[in-house]
Amino acid sequence: MLQVENLHAGYGASEVLTGTTLTVKQGTLVALIGANGAGKTTTMRAISGGLKPSRGTVKLDGQEVQGLDASRIARLGLAHSPEGRKVFGPLSVEDNLLLGAYSHLPRFFGFQGKAQADLDRVYELFPKLRERARQAAGTLSGGEQQMLAIGRALMARPKVMLLDEPSMGLAPVIVQEVFRTIRRLKEEGITLLLVEQFAKSALEVADYAYVMERGRIAVEGTPAELARNERVIAAYLG
Amino acid sequence: MNASIIGQMAVSGALMGLVYALIAYGFQLTFATSKSINFGQGELVMVSAFFSLTLLNLGVPYWAMIPGGLLFGALMGLVVERAGVRLALEQKSEGWILLTIIIGLFFFSAAENLWGRDDRPFPTPISADPIHVLGVDVTRLELAVAIGVLAIMGAIELFKRRTLLGKAFEAVSADRDAAELMGISATRTVMLSYGLSGAVAALAGILVSPITTVGPTMASALILKAFSVAVVAGLDSGFGVVLIGMFLGALESLASFYLGSGWREAPGLILLILALAVRPTGVFGKAVIRKV
Repeated sequence: MLQVENLHAGYGASEVLTGTTLTVKQGTLVALIGANGAGKTTTMRAISGGLKPSRGTVKLDGQEVQGLDASRIARLGLAHSPEGRKVFGPLSVEDNLLLGAYSHLPRFFGFQGKAQADLDRVYELFPKLRERARQAAGTLSGGEQQMLAIGRALMARPKVMLLDEPSMGLAPVIVQEVFRTIRRLKEEGITLLLVEQFAKSALEVADYAYVMERGRIAVEGTPAELARNERVIAAYLG
Repeated sequence: MNASIIGQMAVSGALMGLVYALIAYGFQLTFATSKSINFGQGELVMVSAFFSLTLLNLGVPYWAMIPGGLLFGALMGLVVERAGVRLALEQKSEGWILLTIIIGLFFFSAAENLWGRDDRPFPTPISADPIHVLGVDVTRLELAVAIGVLAIMGAIELFKRRTLLGKAFEAVSADRDAAELMGISATRTVMLSYGLSGAVAALAGILVSPITTVGPTMASALILKAFSVAVVAGLDSGFGVVLIGMFLGALESLASFYLGSGWREAPGLILLILALAVRPTGVFGKAVIRKV
C-alpha cells in the first residue's frame, strides 16, 4: 500500500535521509524505531509532502506521490498525525474532526450530516471526545489532544495512516491507553506506519519493523526477529 | 444643547469609523491565513470605487452595481496575491511589504490615467436627509454605511463558523502545516482570503464614496486610520476593529469640531503611537512572539 524507495531528503544543504527504503503492506502495522535524530520524523514528513524529497520514490496505492503538495497527498488517501499532535487549538473538538474528513465532505453545507457516521465511530473509540465536542481543542489535556489527533486522521478514512510519536510527552498511564488505541486501529484493519521512541511497546503491536540509523534503515524484520538481534537489543530494547 | 451636539458629533463620527473598521477587517482576513497584509489596500478601495462609478455611468442600476463592484474588488485582491504576495511567501521572505506597495502604486497610476485626477461625485439613491434616532440626527447615508459594514462582516464571520470551507480557513490560520495534512490547500486558502479582503475593500469604497467623492487620493487618509484601527485593535479580533473603529471615528469628529478641522487626523495617530508603545499586539490581540 505504501512503498518508499531510496528516499533522500533534508533541510537545506544537510541531508537527513540518505536512501530510506521501506514498505507497508495493506492492513499491517509497521513500526519505525531508532534513536533521536536518526531521521524517523523526517521520513514521515518526506512521505506526506511536508518536506520535498530530493531523490527516491514514494508510492501510495501504486501511484507515485513524491514531490506533490502535502494537501494533494492527503486527498489521495494518506493521513499523517504529526509529531506534537498539532490540533487546531482555537477550533472546537468536533470542528477538528470534521476538518480531518475535509477531502471527502461538501465544502459549504450538509457536511455535518455526511460526516455523522464517521464522527460516531470516532466518538465510540474515544468517548471523552464526545463529551468535549464543543470545547476548544487547545484546552484539552495532552492525552486527549493525542486522541483527537488520531481521531482526526481516522476521519479521513485513509488508505494509510502515519502516526508520529503518539506517546510523546504523555504520562505512562496515558501512554498505555494510546497503545491500546493503536491495537484497536490494527484490529479494524487500518494500515499504519508508526514512529515510536518506546521501541519495546511499538514492537509488541507491530507486524513488521524497521530500525533507522543515521538516515537509512539499518535493520529490519518481524518483531520476533528483531528481538533476537543483539545489536537491536543492546541499542533499543535493553 | 452642548450635550446634544457632542452626541450628534460622536454618533456620526462613529458611523464613519465603521468604514475604518471594515478596511482594517480586510487586513485581518489576509493576516490570518498568510501573516501578510496588502499595503496597497487603500488603492484597492479607490480603484474599486472608480470601477463601480463607471458601472453606474454605464447605466447599471445601483443595487446591481454593488455585486459587480465586490466581484471586481475580489479579482483585484487575487491579482495582488498572485502578482505580489505569493512570490514573497514562496520564498519565505518579507518582500510582500514592498511588492504590495508597488502594486498599489501601479493601481494609483492606472486610475489617474484611466479616470483622471479630479474628484468626482458618486451618485446614490440613498438620501442624505437626516432622520431622528434616539435624540440625534443620522442621515440615511450614514445608516447605510453602518448596515453595509456590519452585514458583510457578519456574513464573512458566519461563513467562517458555519461552512467547512470557513472552518478550513480558520484551520490554516491556526496551523498551516497541519491544515495541509488534512488535504486543505494553504495556497488556495490564502487566495480566498485575498479575494474576500478585496471584496471588503470594494464595499468600503462603494459605501464611503457618496460621502467623500471618488478620486485617486480618496483613500490615502482612510487607509492611515484603518492601519491605526488594525494596530490598536489587534490583527485577530473582528469585534475589536468594530469597537476601535467607532471609537476613533467619534474621537476624530469631536476633535475636529472642538479643536478645528486641522486636528482631525490627530486622535488616530496618537492612538497608534500609544498602542505601539504600550500594547503592540493590540487591545484585543493575543500576544504573539514574532520570530525575526
